[in-house]
Amino acid sequence: MANNITSESKQLATWYFTFAAIIFGAQLLFGLVAAIQYVMPGFLFEIIDFSVARMIHINALVVWMVFAMFGSVYWLLPDETGIETVGIKLGKLLFWIFAAAIVVVVLVYLLVQVGPADETTIWFINEGREYIEAPRWADFGIVVVALGFVANLFLTGMKGQRSGIVTVLMADMIAFSGLYLCGMFFTDNISMDQYWWWWVIHLWVEATWEVFVGALAAYGLITIIGAHRKVVEMWLWIEVAMLFGSGILGLGHHYFWIGTPEYWWEIGALFSALEPLPLVAMFIHVLYDWGKTQGQEMGEGHIDEDHVKSVVTNKPAFTWFVLNAFGNFLGAGIWGFFHTLPQVNLYTHGTQFTSAHGHLAFFGAYATILLGMMYLAIQGSNGIKVLKHTKASIWAVSLITSGVVGMTVALTIAGYVQVLVSRAQMGATWAAYFDGQSGMWFAQAMDWRLVMGAVTFLGFLFLIKDFLSTGKNPVHER
Amino acid sequence: MAKKSVWSDNRFWQRSAAWITGFASVLLIWLTFDSMGQISMGTDADLQSGVTKRVPAPTVINYKITYEMDTKRGHEVPVIGEKEKFFGRDDWSEEEAASLLHLGKLGSQAKNCMNCHTLLGNGAYYAPDLTKAWLDPAWGPTGSMQAMTGKNTKEEAMAEFLQHPSTYPTHARMMPNLGITAEEAKGLVAFLKHMSSIDTNGFPRNFGRMQGAVNGK
Amino acid sequence: MIDPVIIRPEIALDDFLPIFVSSAFVLIFGGFYVGIYTAVKVNLLKKWTMPIGYFFWVLTAYCLYIMGNLMHVGEFTAKALVVAAFGLLLLPHAVYYMQDNVHEENEH
Repeated sequence: MANNITSESKQLATWYFTFAAIIFGAQLLFGLVAAIQYVMPGFLFEIIDFSVARMIHINALVVWMVFAMFGSVYWLLPDETGIETVGIKLGKLLFWIFAAAIVVVVLVYLLVQVGPADETTIWFINEGREYIEAPRWADFGIVVVALGFVANLFLTGMKGQRSGIVTVLMADMIAFSGLYLCGMFFTDNISMDQYWWWWVIHLWVEATWEVFVGALAAYGLITIIGAHRKVVEMWLWIEVAMLFGSGILGLGHHYFWIGTPEYWWEIGALFSALEPLPLVAMFIHVLYDWGKTQGQEMGEGHIDEDHVKSVVTNKPAFTWFVLNAFGNFLGAGIWGFFHTLPQVNLYTHGTQFTSAHGHLAFFGAYATILLGMMYLAIQGSNGIKVLKHTKASIWAVSLITSGVVGMTVALTIAGYVQVLVSRAQMGATWAAYFDGQSGMWFAQAMDWRLVMGAVTFLGFLFLIKDFLSTGKNPVHER
Repeated sequence: MAKKSVWSDNRFWQRSAAWITGFASVLLIWLTFDSMGQISMGTDADLQSGVTKRVPAPTVINYKITYEMDTKRGHEVPVIGEKEKFFGRDDWSEEEAASLLHLGKLGSQAKNCMNCHTLLGNGAYYAPDLTKAWLDPAWGPTGSMQAMTGKNTKEEAMAEFLQHPSTYPTHARMMPNLGITAEEAKGLVAFLKHMSSIDTNGFPRNFGRMQGAVNGK
Repeated sequence: MIDPVIIRPEIALDDFLPIFVSSAFVLIFGGFYVGIYTAVKVNLLKKWTMPIGYFFWVLTAYCLYIMGNLMHVGEFTAKALVVAAFGLLLLPHAVYYMQDNVHEENEH
């Protein structure tokens, strides 16, 4: 496939993207299993229980995104530094180690599932901590792989002509890798456990990953629509300031109820209220740059008879990038904001609201832009000048987006029932929980969630079809 | 060329980003030191002298725990009361209680509780929250769960359920058999009892208010 | 440290839906405000639509008020919400001002 790639770094990026796409499929499949279990509790009972399906669902999510993030960095490094990535041999070796480790971890999750209550389980089967269940041996593997990756990034950045984007990525990736260490210890104190667990989870997805997305969006705007580098890079710095400024202490909104002191209410509330602002700002920025470059194009008279020539050189990628700006605002912004203040979070914490927010935010903020990066790689690998939409790519975008939005709406309704019945009215006991789950609205919401999950999966199939075939399609300008 | 403005200077924004990030991180680290002090586990001596800690010592399993409205704070807080037998004893030593809690916490991770249940509200939403499970009236002397397992105490009923969950279904959605041994079950119950004594700032609200609520008003 | 007296009134059952709806509209209206402002500035929309943009900001602030009221937020949170509302008002202006500056410097 990758005949037009001369850079080894870009070659390696396509490996990362390919593996990421496969794991993305696994994420959706196990998500479907878990969704079916809500509707038919007997499905695969004591074979692949909900806990196992859900663990693979969320782990696959993290893994495919990390793979796609590494891939994105290897893809943009040669463009941003002007040189071949340093230590590419090591990068390739680490890719195979990483991929092999993931396969082993997943097989153990599936075949062994749980272990006795002692340290061997923590070391070899799973750590039982949401999102970072990977057993300790794999933790060390991940640290080694991440260090190798960061080393490649730093050596390349220092040797080549380091752009602002690369500088941001260097700072961001070191924080990203370092934070993982906070999740690598065991304590008997559950409050302490969750305190540090949130350092990994929150400071990843609401700080370092968001900044990473900011850097990718900057790169995307330059490559796809030819936005002005200086403007984009200045904007990136402002975004870093806003994202870290609100996101780091936004950590407080996870410390309302885990045993931590009450002052986190105020800190959490204040910074949570600020957290949507950078997302709004990112949204304006994309719109602004698009309008500006398109306006320039029009002003300079690049107009043919029928229509204005578009400045977009990669339609599917740009669609995903725009969806990212929009989805980040909608999923992380709106769905995050409406249950983030402590007064209301008291009732929504630990309900399907969180799940609704999780689905839309991970998709809107991360999945979209990473899929956009994959389209950039397809364009590059096939030496295409202007990559256009195909039937499959349009189906993929529409089905995946409407599927995820549908799931989110369904889960929000389910969460609302849970808040009213299980929480506000009955007070969160075992019986209260099941009263909420048995409600008609809840049950129907779960049916719709499953349907929308299936729609998403269908969209994924179109996406894969497009990934495999669009490079050969004659509609593109070469 | 227009006059250079500081607002459009990359270096200015780069430095601002660094300063803001640095400042937020330093503040977070400082707050973390304070929080660490407040959420580190108390000691047995604290319990005996009635000192309230946000996270009490493991020996809290020797005491009765209730969840009561604190008018000053405006929400419920766990209250540690008189001695109460736990698996027939109320004299669990510091070492014994600590090792039981250790077993329970390890068990909670090894059995992957968090991927169905929520603990302190975090985890999956497929099964009930376990934050105050110990205080759930269903496990109490007149509760349905205790009656179902045919045991006479809360802890024995919970331990029995944990070992044979699919024998005691409470809903079409059942807990699977996770191979929990008798000893592990004991540890897990100790872990749950300890967790219920953690001061969670009133989460969950109105725990156990099953009846008497007229549209929440 | 002296424990502050915190009184947290209950949220009435009927108030949950208005809370969720108003907090969603905070950002939806906020998004419209920002979107219209930016679109006018980059000439995607006609100039006269600008007051509509500001009107959406007023709606945003109003929704924020409804939400805070129903949630019985404390004094501190109320202040934080006001700061956020004004932050939102200023944000697109600041962004546009800076972007324009950079464009001026680089294109002429």
